[in-house]
Amino acid sequence: MDVAIKLIFDVLAFSSIMVLVVLGLAVIASMMGIFNLGHGEFVLLGAYTVYIFRELGLPEWAGMLAAPFLVAIAGLVIEIVFIRRLYASPVIAMLATFAIGLIIRELIRVLIGGQYYAIDEPVPGSVSLLGVDVSAWRAIIIFLTGVLMVACFIFLTRTSFGLQIRGALENPGLARASGVSTTRLYAFTFAFGAALAGLAGALMVPLFSLSADLGVRFLVQAFLSVMLGGVGTFEGPILGSAVIGAMVPGFQWLREIPLFGIMVGDLIQPIVAEVLVFIVALIIVKFRPDGFITKGRI
Amino acid sequence: MANKHANGGGGITRRSLLRGAGALTAAGWVAGFSGGWILRPRGAFAAAPIKFGVATDITGAIAPSGNSNWQVIQLAVKKINDAGGIGGRPIELYLEDTASDPKVAVGNVLKLIQQHKVDVVVGGITSAMREAIKNPIVRRGKTLYLYPQLYEGQECTEHLYCTGPTPAQQCDELIPYLMNTHGKKRFAMPSANYRWPQLLNKYARALIEKNGGEVVFEEYYPLDQLEYSATVAKIKSEGVDCVFNTIIPPGLQAFTKQLYESGFQKDGGAHTCVYFDENSVNYVPERELEGVYTCLDYFHTVDDPVGAQLQKEYAEMFPGTKYLFTAGSAATGAYRAVKFYEAAVKKTGGDLSREAVSAAIDDVAITDVPGGDSRMVPGTGHCALNMYVAQAKGGSYEILSSANMVPPQECG
Amino acid sequence: MTETTANLADDKADGKQRPRLPLSVLPIIEIAMLALLMLYPIFITYLTAEGEALDFNNYFVVRVTSIILLAMLAVSFDLCWGYSGIMSFGQALFFGIGGYFVAKLSEETGMTSMLIIIPAGMLVGLISALLVGWFLLISKRTPTIIFVALGSLTASFAAERLVAGWQWVGAGNGMSIWDFPTLFGTDLEPGIGFYYLAVACLLIAYLASRYLVRSQFGLALAGIRQNEDRLAFLGYRLQAFKLIVFSFAGLIAGWGGAIYAFHEGFVGPATVGVTTSTYAVLYGLFGGVGTLIGPVIGAGVIEGLTVILSDNETLKAYWPIALGAVMLVVVAYQPTGLVGLLVTQRERFGSFGIRKGKKSSGTDDAGKADGHD
Repeated sequence: MDVAIKLIFDVLAFSSIMVLVVLGLAVIASMMGIFNLGHGEFVLLGAYTVYIFRELGLPEWAGMLAAPFLVAIAGLVIEIVFIRRLYASPVIAMLATFAIGLIIRELIRVLIGGQYYAIDEPVPGSVSLLGVDVSAWRAIIIFLTGVLMVACFIFLTRTSFGLQIRGALENPGLARASGVSTTRLYAFTFAFGAALAGLAGALMVPLFSLSADLGVRFLVQAFLSVMLGGVGTFEGPILGSAVIGAMVPGFQWLREIPLFGIMVGDLIQPIVAEVLVFIVALIIVKFRPDGFITKGRI
Repeated sequence: MANKHANGGGGITRRSLLRGAGALTAAGWVAGFSGGWILRPRGAFAAAPIKFGVATDITGAIAPSGNSNWQVIQLAVKKINDAGGIGGRPIELYLEDTASDPKVAVGNVLKLIQQHKVDVVVGGITSAMREAIKNPIVRRGKTLYLYPQLYEGQECTEHLYCTGPTPAQQCDELIPYLMNTHGKKRFAMPSANYRWPQLLNKYARALIEKNGGEVVFEEYYPLDQLEYSATVAKIKSEGVDCVFNTIIPPGLQAFTKQLYESGFQKDGGAHTCVYFDENSVNYVPERELEGVYTCLDYFHTVDDPVGAQLQKEYAEMFPGTKYLFTAGSAATGAYRAVKFYEAAVKKTGGDLSREAVSAAIDDVAITDVPGGDSRMVPGTGHCALNMYVAQAKGGSYEILSSANMVPPQECG
Repeated sequence: MTETTANLADDKADGKQRPRLPLSVLPIIEIAMLALLMLYPIFITYLTAEGEALDFNNYFVVRVTSIILLAMLAVSFDLCWGYSGIMSFGQALFFGIGGYFVAKLSEETGMTSMLIIIPAGMLVGLISALLVGWFLLISKRTPTIIFVALGSLTASFAAERLVAGWQWVGAGNGMSIWDFPTLFGTDLEPGIGFYYLAVACLLIAYLASRYLVRSQFGLALAGIRQNEDRLAFLGYRLQAFKLIVFSFAGLIAGWGGAIYAFHEGFVGPATVGVTTSTYAVLYGLFGGVGTLIGPVIGAGVIEGLTVILSDNETLKAYWPIALGAVMLVVVAYQPTGLVGLLVTQRERFGSFGIRKGKKSSGTDDAGKADGHD
């Protein structure tokens, strides 16, 4: 029972982070048809912001608070200067985002010197959850993500701007024809997606250590989540992230259970468990190319 | 040895490097025409210089260790040149940055060999780097190679000499100490998945079982794995009383944090990691380091006048540097490498050909090195070292036991 | 035919002096590159002799040999992206697999003969590309570009993680290849002999690719590029074509990778991973996709600059940023790359990804008109 609680907790924690990362990516992808290949670097920027704040002597939580806003500004600037003019050709836009991600990644590599940096979490230690000791910080992440999701939901369903977003999400052409200012919408969405990614990066840097290559690993996992969950809805990416979020720690835990008397762990090394996530996800995507929840287009 | 990373408490490597570059020029380093840095000896020397190549990680993840190696080598060479060089010949230093990236390193090392035609190369810190550059140096470059870092052993390549501790040297003191003095019997081996932990664990396991202990589990994780909750849970549930840790950064921080948070050390568990040294407080918070056991060839707290004097001179030559002169970063091994080479060339009477120096260095002893005297064990390419078992207490290391001239037991 | 006649008619009609046939710049560039490659070692040896005896196996020759082998990777990328619209972000996968395979083979059996290394690299490159391509490219509905792009990225990423964790192939340490490769019994050390071998391999791979894309098969590829749906309606089995090109590209990448491993004497996770894949994309985009020679030039320029700049500590740090900026500029403003500055649209045999709105004129032989677009 203890094991089950720990497992569910771990899965929830990782999924929360994935949700924050993926949501922005998915919304941008479905609304504008552009898969932002530099999205991982927004996560990196968020983590880097926390690091900078710490370097300046400010507390980590201040950095975490500032991260989404600062990254949103960065996202906005990128959208206005580069992406905006490339909406007509999504492929070029994708390559451009790839290049931008590369620039950001290498810039940060110069700034932090290619090493790994450990950041302390604002709330250290553990709390007791149903009799099991779990990391306090992860609990906070799960809580914050939940709150954020509720807030997003309210925003999308109760405000007129939210309505415009949902409309543009499902059918951009019609939205434009109905007089929705897609320029403003796109700019806002891009910045919002960046903000979420930045927040994800800021929140999870105490767990994952800061390094210049943080973005790449999240890009791959985010891509798989988006593909799994389907594009065009709000719930799709959440589901996709939940699945990936379940698999990454889940497969590691799988190694601890006995199967037909053999320890799965003896057959599967941790590295195989990790690669298995990719393989399984790719196979699922192949057989269900539109993802689990299919309403929109990519 | 393993990868080593440090965050230096906020120092930004490249910036300090650029600052350092200015300091380098002031100190007489000259940017080579097409590569690296060259330090020409000061003063007038009658004879042609000896070309000494250094290939270490000045930038990248291993930069803290690489920079400390580089600075320590400069100190060693300066002392030799100030005393008149080796047989009247000064040492000329050539530096190439291996950038913590084996792929890049292969190309840069080529510069040392083919362009500068150095007589010897000291360098490489991680095992991966050593594997990558030993070929261009030893085989293709036909040059002598001295490797300064603690590592997994079994490097028996001819003309490649290791001046850092081997698994035997580290474990032969540490494991019996833990088992006999502290009664630890149930060991866990969480490890990074590559060669060093695998071979080290093999040796440690044999020693543990010989002393009546048990290895409860031995697992290998990808270097950047950050999910250790399953592992830590197993440690606690299986009643492990000693964790023989060979995880390296970036997984290290996550692991030590999760281990600490589980209350393992609080409940009396012993945490041991054989590459921890005075630098480690820079990348793992002190509270998580408290009480960790390690075994190396030198600590700042060792009662060793030579070491103390060298630390002073090092602080004078590099005031305020954050790259400490420690054993876990291969700096002591690098210093030893220079001294071994000096002793060998003295023995050959100035003959710098690889065959001659290699034959000489194979059986030579040195004094005047931190941690105590050392000597090469003939025919093995490794050296006997004084080893110290120590425990981290409040940021520095308390020496618990020591042994002199521990044999390396490699390639015999 | 129609187009040429029309030109001639035009000439006569308005009496202007116009060249009868447009000058083909592309072959000139190709020949120039070939001459450059053939003469380089001699030229550089004399240049850097510095009064000592001439050493043809010098540092500069060896460094450029590596670049030539990387150019094979670039060519393989161009086959995918420039000619077939397969955005392969993971081309280094096949390059690295070629290297790992021969490294392991050499470790287990002690073989070092080039006559085995090359076919082995080709074979494993072909097979792995076949498998990956079958997975990524073949399905009931045409896979989207994004799926292929990120699927290949994932494959390269996963492979990098896998070999980094697999002890049998050296895990994070990679594999060191101790022996020199042998050719007809003699050791082939890195140097001028190895250099010309690399040039020969690049040349053969290049010519084979060139032949492929200018053949009937290549015409079908051009059709896929222009308008996939139309070609499908005409009865062409698109996915089979794409798979064939992808596999052939994998073959070339594996070939280059196998030789590269023996030249460097080392193969590690980075060889098979995302960074190298990214560089393949950069070589192609910078040099100019869809021309085959463009990526070769791109590889030469980028790698060459990397070597030159590696001496300057400051510049070396900023070089990757500059590369990203260059890629951005190229993608947004000069999608045809470096070669595109010299070569006109009509000569290019591939122009996938050119911004819509720009006219993509007839891309096949300077004789057959393309009425549409």
